[in-house]
Parts: sequence; C-alpha cells; structure tokens
Amino acid sequence: MTLSSSQFMSMPLKGNLEEYFNIFIFMAVAFGISLFLVLLSFWRGPKRPDAEKLSAYECGFEAFSDARLKFDVRFYLVAILFIIFDLEIAFLFPWAVSLKSIGLFGFFSMLLFLGTLGIGFVYEWRKGALEWE
Amino acid sequence: MTTTTLIFYILSGVLLSSAVMVVTTKNTVYGVLFLILAFFNAAGLFILAHAEFLAMILIVVYVGAVAVLFLFVVMMVNMETKKSQRMDRRYLLMGIFVGGVLVLELVVVFMSWNTSPEAFELIFAPQDGLSNTHALGALLYTHYALIFQAAGLILLIAMIGAIILTLRQRENVLKQKIGDQLARQAKDSVQMVDISPTSSFRNLESLDDSATPRGRTSRVS
Repeated sequence: MTLSSSQFMSMPLKGNLEEYFNIFIFMAVAFGISLFLVLLSFWRGPKRPDAEKLSAYECGFEAFSDARLKFDVRFYLVAILFIIFDLEIAFLFPWAVSLKSIGLFGFFSMLLFLGTLGIGFVYEWRKGALEWE
Repeated sequence: MTTTTLIFYILSGVLLSSAVMVVTTKNTVYGVLFLILAFFNAAGLFILAHAEFLAMILIVVYVGAVAVLFLFVVMMVNMETKKSQRMDRRYLLMGIFVGGVLVLELVVVFMSWNTSPEAFELIFAPQDGLSNTHALGALLYTHYALIFQAAGLILLIAMIGAIILTLRQRENVLKQKIGDQLARQAKDSVQMVDISPTSSFRNLESLDDSATPRGRTSRVS
C-alpha cells in the first residue's frame, strides 16, 4: 500500500496545536509592534542624508579598513568547546525527563557519557585551552 | 485549508526562500543570517510535527552555536568578494551538468520509493500521553546506549582535535598565577639590608637574587 503525496503532506500536521495559541499571540503582538515602530520611524522621520551621515561611524574617525579582518583562531576554539558542552547539555534533557523509566542502566549510561566528556574537560583544563592570557 | 496547513506553508515557504538566498546572495554574512532564518523556520516545522525537543535543540545548537561558527568561518575565509564574481562563467556549464545529474538521480529515487504503511504511524511523536522528549529519552539511553556512547567519544575526539589544531601557547606573556600570588610571604620577598652611609648602591647588586622571583621586582641600581 502506498500513500499519495497529499496524504503524506498532511500526516505530520494532525493533532492539535491549541497549546501554542498563547505563544502565537505573543509572537504576533511582538512582530506587529516592532513592524509598526520601524515603519513609523521610516515614514514619519525626517530623511536628509548627506555623505557624512551615510558613512560608517567609527568613534569619530574615518574608517581605517574593512570591518572583516582576520582575527585570532582562539575565538574559534572557544566557540567549538562551547558547542561540545552545549551538545552534552542537550543530551541531559531527555535523560532527566525519562530518568524514572530507564532504570539504573540508563543512569549509568549517562554517567559513562559524562565521564568521557569529563576526560576531555580535564584535558582541556590541563592543556590551558581555557586560559586567555 | 486549516490553520495548521496555512502555518505549514508559511514556514516552509520562508524556509525554502531563505535557503535559496543562502546560496545566491553575494554577501556571505547575509548568507549566514539567512541560514539562521532557515533554522528558525525548520524549528517551527518541528513544532508543527509535535517534536518540541528537536525544535528547541535546533534553536539552541544550530542557531546558537553552529551559526556562530559559520560566522567565524566567513570572517576568516572570505576576504575579498569581488574576485569570485568573475569566475562564475567558467564553472557554469559543468555546474549545470553536475546539478542536472543530481536532480535526475533524485527524481529516479523518488519515483521508485516504497514506504511501508506502518512507517507513517511511526514518524510522529507518540501521542498517548508521552511527550516527545520523554519518548526520546526512553530509547536513547538504554536501547541505543552504544550509539550514545559513540556520540560521547566523537565529542571527545572533536574537543581534543580542536585543541591540538588551534592551541598555541605564547611565550613571554605575563599571567596571573593566583596560587603563587596568594602563597607569597613577606619573608620571601622583603630583605632588610644594612647600608652604611659611605657605601655605593652598586654593592647591592650582589644580593641574593632568589628572593626576587624572575627578577621582576624593582631592584635598586
């Protein structure tokens, strides 16, 4: 048996989304207000541009160079380490929610996972990757 | 047309158009921003499919972290934008050929795709009072424990690899060493010296130098 594509498209949409109605109202109001304010200042604000006003403002001087310059790779290192621990936290959420039903095995499974990343954490600490100088 | 269908088409429309903008826009920083917009709309689609946990993770991990990395890469790699526009013509024919082959393959695959009827029931989050997060956790840490540990190892390797590739220790940098600074005692660093009024200051050079760590404290000379 195969399903037609229209059936397939409507399949994930079944079920109710009523509990998101409050969030929807919140987002609609936020979007409306921000759009209103931007459009209002765009419409009512005086626009008398000249070369000085349109140039990039950099603490009162002329801009020295392009804003896109190479910077230290250590920012990248910090961001990567952040992502890894971010993912670790992401794994903790379903574990915490379902801890009662997964038993001791699930508990120690997570402890092993945390231990693995703990080794990495100790390594990075001892190596001095977290120090900025 | 129900409201959910309308929301679905709005979200996927914005998602697809921002994905097109990612690959067509000249300014790569704008490209990354459109990518973030695409992530947000994909998160909205996940919520429509009752996968709340995946939606939140998409926002936290992809928007919060991966987008920052992409911005870094854009900042590091892309220094000149004008040069790349001239090369477009040379690759046009080959690009169309390769893209056409890919599209053809996708069409062939999609035409001959068979799906088990049970699969359509399995693609939703379980609706029987079990939340999406709970259902995920019930399987991930026990049934898929090995894969879960493999994920941990991959993260560990990523961490070590990133540190080895990018960490450079700099020489001659003054650092705070909190332990050493707090453990410093007055008797280690202060010396009482008798100076007769007639002697020269030059004589002080011969003092014991070990009391002044690395010779950085001020010396009379």
